Amino acid sequence: MLIYQRINRILKTATTYNRCRWLYCSTPHQQVSHYSHFTSSSQQVLGCRVISSWFSRAFSSGGPQPQYEEDQVDPFSLVADELSVVANRLRSMVVTEVPKLASAAEYFFKMGVEGKRFRPTVILLMATALNVQISKPASEGVVDLFSSELRMRLQSIAEITEMIHVASLLHDDVLDDADTRRGIGSLNFVMGNKISVLAGDFLLSRACITLASLKNTEVVSLIATAVEHLVTGETMQMSSSAEQRSSMDYYLQKTYYKTASLISNSCKSIALLTGQTAEVALLAYEYGKNLGLAFQLIDDVLDFTGTSSSLGKGSLSDIRHGIVTAPILYAIEEFPELQTVVDRGLDNPENMDLALEYLGKSHGIQRTRELAARHASLASAAIDSLPENDDEDVQRSRRALKELTHIVINRTK
Amino acid sequence: MRTYIYTNYVTLHQYISLYTPSIKEGYARGCISTHSLTRFIISVVESTTYVRRLIFTYFSFNFPVTSPPPPPLTPSSISIYLFFISFHLLILLFDIMSVYRLIYRVSRTATSYNRCRWLHCSTPHQQSSSQQVLGCRVISPWFFRSFHSGGPQPQYEEDPVDPFSLVADELSIVANRLRSMVVAEVPKLASAAEYFFKMGVEGKRFRPTVLLLMATALNAQISKPASEGVVDVFSTELRTRLQSIAEITEMIHVASLLHDDVLDDADTRRGIGSLNFVMGNKISVLAGDFLLSRACITLASLKNTEVVSLIATAVEHLVTGETMQMSSSAEQRSSMDYYLQKTYYKTASLISNSCKSIALLTGQTAEVAMLAYEYGKNLGLAFQLIDDVLDFTGTSSSLGKGSLSDIRHGIVTAPILYAMEEFPELRSVVDRGLDNPANVDLALEYLGKSHGIQRTRELAAKHASLASAAIDSFPENDDEDVQRSRRALIELTHRVINRTK
Repeated sequence: MLIYQRINRILKTATTYNRCRWLYCSTPHQQVSHYSHFTSSSQQVLGCRVISSWFSRAFSSGGPQPQYEEDQVDPFSLVADELSVVANRLRSMVVTEVPKLASAAEYFFKMGVEGKRFRPTVILLMATALNVQISKPASEGVVDLFSSELRMRLQSIAEITEMIHVASLLHDDVLDDADTRRGIGSLNFVMGNKISVLAGDFLLSRACITLASLKNTEVVSLIATAVEHLVTGETMQMSSSAEQRSSMDYYLQKTYYKTASLISNSCKSIALLTGQTAEVALLAYEYGKNLGLAFQLIDDVLDFTGTSSSLGKGSLSDIRHGIVTAPILYAIEEFPELQTVVDRGLDNPENMDLALEYLGKSHGIQRTRELAARHASLASAAIDSLPENDDEDVQRSRRALKELTHIVINRTK
Repeated sequence: MRTYIYTNYVTLHQYISLYTPSIKEGYARGCISTHSLTRFIISVVESTTYVRRLIFTYFSFNFPVTSPPPPPLTPSSISIYLFFISFHLLILLFDIMSVYRLIYRVSRTATSYNRCRWLHCSTPHQQSSSQQVLGCRVISPWFFRSFHSGGPQPQYEEDPVDPFSLVADELSIVANRLRSMVVAEVPKLASAAEYFFKMGVEGKRFRPTVLLLMATALNAQISKPASEGVVDVFSTELRTRLQSIAEITEMIHVASLLHDDVLDDADTRRGIGSLNFVMGNKISVLAGDFLLSRACITLASLKNTEVVSLIATAVEHLVTGETMQMSSSAEQRSSMDYYLQKTYYKTASLISNSCKSIALLTGQTAEVAMLAYEYGKNLGLAFQLIDDVLDFTGTSSSLGKGSLSDIRHGIVTAPILYAMEEFPELRSVVDRGLDNPANVDLALEYLGKSHGIQRTRELAAKHASLASAAIDSFPENDDEDVQRSRRALIELTHRVINRTK
């Protein structure tokens, strides 16, 4: 029973990395015995997992945290520990001497308003999935140091990505005059536009300094390109002509720039930092790109459907701001008269109801979901094409990454 | 007679300059000099006037009552006139001689890099041309000083060099490359990004000038005729990298201007409408972000992470300085240290870090990099201090003619801080808020009574001399271009102090 509890605790809370360290960081003479012990313990782990999942399924009511079967992993809990380390470091990195700037910069890094932390999760999982160095018990001392320094560099990428993402959120809220963000008041609402713009610039410059400390100019170039894409995407959304707004290619390009570029370039940077080949880096890039596109497409669907499957329960914020998204574009293909409705402007509630009516009649939502599913499967295929690796953590991370693609498709909020 | 000729000279010179703009430009290209042409024409006219008057006097039978009798015609006066005419004729002919023109063009406008290539690529027998250059330069300043009226373009003696004309060619190359670098595929973003890089609104281009001069002043590689082929390629690539620093600095500077105009709701910038006034706040913020990211991409292409780190730190300092200005308490606003720190962050940090990057890219030692940093820092501080003074004094020396924009926005600058040290009651006036015009007038009154302006100028002069000292501490280099650039850098420190607008 004690063993069961201990193993359960390891299973549930420790990250794969910590778990391996804990298991491997022992005196050398115990290695062989530990290895055999580990295999037996892995038996027990698997066994316990089977038992515990059976029990859990029997007794749980399927609440907010779904239980996973043996070959499924919960991506978020897998990196939970590491994420908290990253979050703490982020909070210390945005400290500055001017108090007002400090409070503005750390506004969205405080506990509770960190958001879903989707991007750092992807990046940390990708780091484990690509990292071939972790299990080499022979040269353990050296590997440990190297791995932890390499690990810190990879965590830096996660921090940089999160800083750039928050900087773009701050500037976007200024541009859109938004009142709320992540459940609290947006920074421009609370502290004013000026300090928001400055805080965004400050976070960008901190990200650049951290990037420079990585001493890899290709990574700097990739992340800087991602920032430029963010700006270009936002401008594309702001200043599109009617012609462009009805074009699916323009929409996909804009979505890539706005959402997918940052994740994809960060994944590629991870691959480059771990010294992978160009093909592997490209696979990482493809994964990030398709995941980002799928995420945004489902986001557009949820804007219409909201928490229920029926049409119109969603927040409809995109369409109210005149932003034409994928479902509407597909509906326009089926009903060309919808184009005129859209061109007339969707500020008028009548026009909006008409547009929603057309959308309900068409297959717009369904086709968007299909497109998202296609991108998600492309992402999974990219993970499957990664070089073979027998290490269990690597396998687990890759399964988690594939699980992420399913979560992205099937989420309801 | 001297005054008469002087007045006529000025008029005729202006006339010639007005109607022959090509000649005025051609001055820099070594064509006919307007001054020598003027001198020649004056001398001819004066002589013919004398002769005409002579003929009129001696061959007419009616003495006009009003005209004065001509001076007696003596052999000495004839010889003086002939000497006068022939000398100016010689100068004129010499001016339009092709050799003089070529050398003049080479020495004035080509960058040191091009000049060395040209001079070293030529056959040795033309070494004497430098002699001729020096000779002409000695004679012409004497005449220039006698006849010149001190117009808009001051003539230079041998020692001081005009910093801006020294890098004019290279600056236009940099400007063209900048314009191509801020092109984006989205047309609205492209037009927003290049708004301040168009011809005519590039500003004084102060920072690129400093950086290009610093690049020449530190570049020890340029004059090695022995291994010229190798050095050429290397120098060209190195020169391009140094020019990239100038472009990056200018992009970051314009990005900060765009964001600052959004923050301050400014209407005009560089004599035209500000971007947020013309196109809106959103596109201004986006354009600023775009320029920053382009600068980061260019930085990354330099493949030197220390330089990336320096420039990124400079960007962070810009933001910190702007926030310090925005959100200072009353206590901090009256502190000279806080003000100097904020000024360093806002103005001097970018220039100093860019100069240090130039030094690092050319492979200098840490000490030389530190000297370059010190030069940039002191130059930036002096520039901002004089800027603060000019905000009060404007184009005249009296108080109150300036734009007073800083004090109206409640920004307390160095002269007020010094005045506060002398008159503590000024502090309470400032604390009460300077939106009220009565308070502003009271503050100006205190400022006039105090030595605030004077002490600020002294502080600026001190920083300028520190900057010059940094240049003098550079490692010895006999190359003429390096010497000239260093003199130009020192000249810049004088200009920064003595400017009036």
